[in-house]
Amino acid sequence: MRKPTHILLVLAVLLLGSIVASCALGAVKVHPTEFVSILLNKFGWSDYNSFSAQQEAVIWVIRLPRVITSVLSGALLALSGVAIQGLFRNPLADPGIIGISSGAAMVASIAIVISGTFSFLQGTFAGISFLVIAAFAGSLLSAAGVFRIAREKTKTNVSTMLLAGIAINAIAGAVTGILIYISNEQQLRDLTFWTLGSLGGSTWTNAGILLVLLVVTYLVFFRLSKALNAFSLGEQEAQHIGISIESAKNRIIIFSSIAVGATVAFNGIIGFVGLVVPHILRITGSYNHRFLIPAAALGGGLLLSLSDLAARTLVAPAEIPVGIITALAGAPVFLFILLQQKHTFR
Amino acid sequence: MRKLILILCSALTVSCSTPARSTEETTEAPKERIVSLNGTLTEILCASGLESSIVGTDVTSAFPESIQKLPKLGHVKSLNAEGIIALSPTMVFGKKDEIKPELEKQLIEAGIKVLLFEQEYSVDGSKRLIKEVCATVNAEESGKKLITKIDEDLKGISSMTHVPRVLFIYARGAGTLMVAGDGTQMQKMISLSGADNAVNGFPDFKPLTPEALLEANPDVILMFESGVESLEGENGIWSIPGMADTKAGKTKQLVVMDGLYVSGFGPRLGQAVTELNKKLISVNQTSN
Repeated sequence: MRKPTHILLVLAVLLLGSIVASCALGAVKVHPTEFVSILLNKFGWSDYNSFSAQQEAVIWVIRLPRVITSVLSGALLALSGVAIQGLFRNPLADPGIIGISSGAAMVASIAIVISGTFSFLQGTFAGISFLVIAAFAGSLLSAAGVFRIAREKTKTNVSTMLLAGIAINAIAGAVTGILIYISNEQQLRDLTFWTLGSLGGSTWTNAGILLVLLVVTYLVFFRLSKALNAFSLGEQEAQHIGISIESAKNRIIIFSSIAVGATVAFNGIIGFVGLVVPHILRITGSYNHRFLIPAAALGGGLLLSLSDLAARTLVAPAEIPVGIITALAGAPVFLFILLQQKHTFR
Repeated sequence: MRKLILILCSALTVSCSTPARSTEETTEAPKERIVSLNGTLTEILCASGLESSIVGTDVTSAFPESIQKLPKLGHVKSLNAEGIIALSPTMVFGKKDEIKPELEKQLIEAGIKVLLFEQEYSVDGSKRLIKEVCATVNAEESGKKLITKIDEDLKGISSMTHVPRVLFIYARGAGTLMVAGDGTQMQKMISLSGADNAVNGFPDFKPLTPEALLEANPDVILMFESGVESLEGENGIWSIPGMADTKAGKTKQLVVMDGLYVSGFGPRLGQAVTELNKKLISVNQTSN
């Protein structure tokens, strides 16, 4: 177990570095000492202020919540990725496969297109915009649909679930297509940018909700790591070892749906994090979920915070949708791993 | 003792920073620093003499030409709040239906005045928008001039003996062809210029199909310059399926104008309507 702890340590250090870099860099220049004094002021530990009100607003209202949201969202996506891949015993699975993202996209596009007609839909509920609530409901709805179809009395059939996921994805895709067809230019732009993801709308409220979700999801999945390890032998075998496989399945599906649903609802669709992070971690040779789960939380946070840093600084003062960056950075790594594995199989 | 030093220090920094600030501001001639996130609003601001106050714009702000050298903040739907703040604007101009509420909130919290406008696509709507925008920057006088200019320009319209049926095609490559229906800027422009829109009975835009094209059977095709470019020139238009059998296709009647100019409903509205009217008359004469 010595090597995995080292890797976790390295990941933690890298994540910390990425957080510091993300806080330090951005379109508005803020000197590290100014950054520290803004924080000290906010916590009431110092009233020495050498920064402008504008810098304070940028750090406190925009950059910090954004960096924290990126770390938490990345961690949630990668955690769900590990759990879902473990459950399906399929390295190609990602949370999107059970319809979470496409369901969110479907309901989000309905919300975007009809909000022009029903203006109350543009409002907020308890500080969260209607679009976020709608997208979250959509992701849970479609995941619940897939789950229900795959349910046989007291069991959940995992292969039925994969197929049901494909069907639900197709339906959601078609409905989204209809809405794209009837949308006007404005709504179409809204839709397009939504499906490319952005962390630009991050607030402290979002970050707080995601933090609670991350803590809960992490604890649930970490306690399931033994079950996930057993799953890799096959469902029957896992049951023989004495794992209560049905309750493990239920928990994985429910908590991944909530975790991914919430990140998609807040940030739009950010692809590849859930798929690629577990893969990168498996290069280390460790397939033990006691290692993979904490590593995924760290690695996911690292990947998404770095991607968002790139998204908002590469073309500053403009911004690239972060989904493009994660795909651009993630896909080549994924291909590289595939090619490597091809050689080792020979 | 330590407290005293701290107080002294902070007093020093405050006293030093305030005058430093103000000299920094006086070196720049204009008081306000404006970010404009809409092409038409940028045009109005520039036309009322505030071009030197503008420090950044969105992608749609393409006129006047000189504004192009300013930092571009990207598309209005994927703006980076920090990028805007980095230009340290005092005012941000945008359209109510385009600016996301989250962005508005972020900018307000950074102490920036956010001014959002609603625009109605008509002569009165343009005049109202100009009046409202100019009022926020104390340029009422230039606003009045711009409004009189629109009225004067509109006098240049001549009536047409044969009212042509005009089809506006919004193109972004041969795969995405849309036609403008009721309530769109282009439908309003066509009727202001004295012609008829060849398609109606549906709101906003609709994809162009060969059958719909034949049914509309327009006399003239109207397009944006960027649209013609996306079809790789005029030949691309005449090879749109169904086009060859329409009146416009048979006689190759085409009017091309700049997108922002002809659909912006800004200070150049009168000019654009008159120019469209002239162009329609000239193609109409050659076809009859």
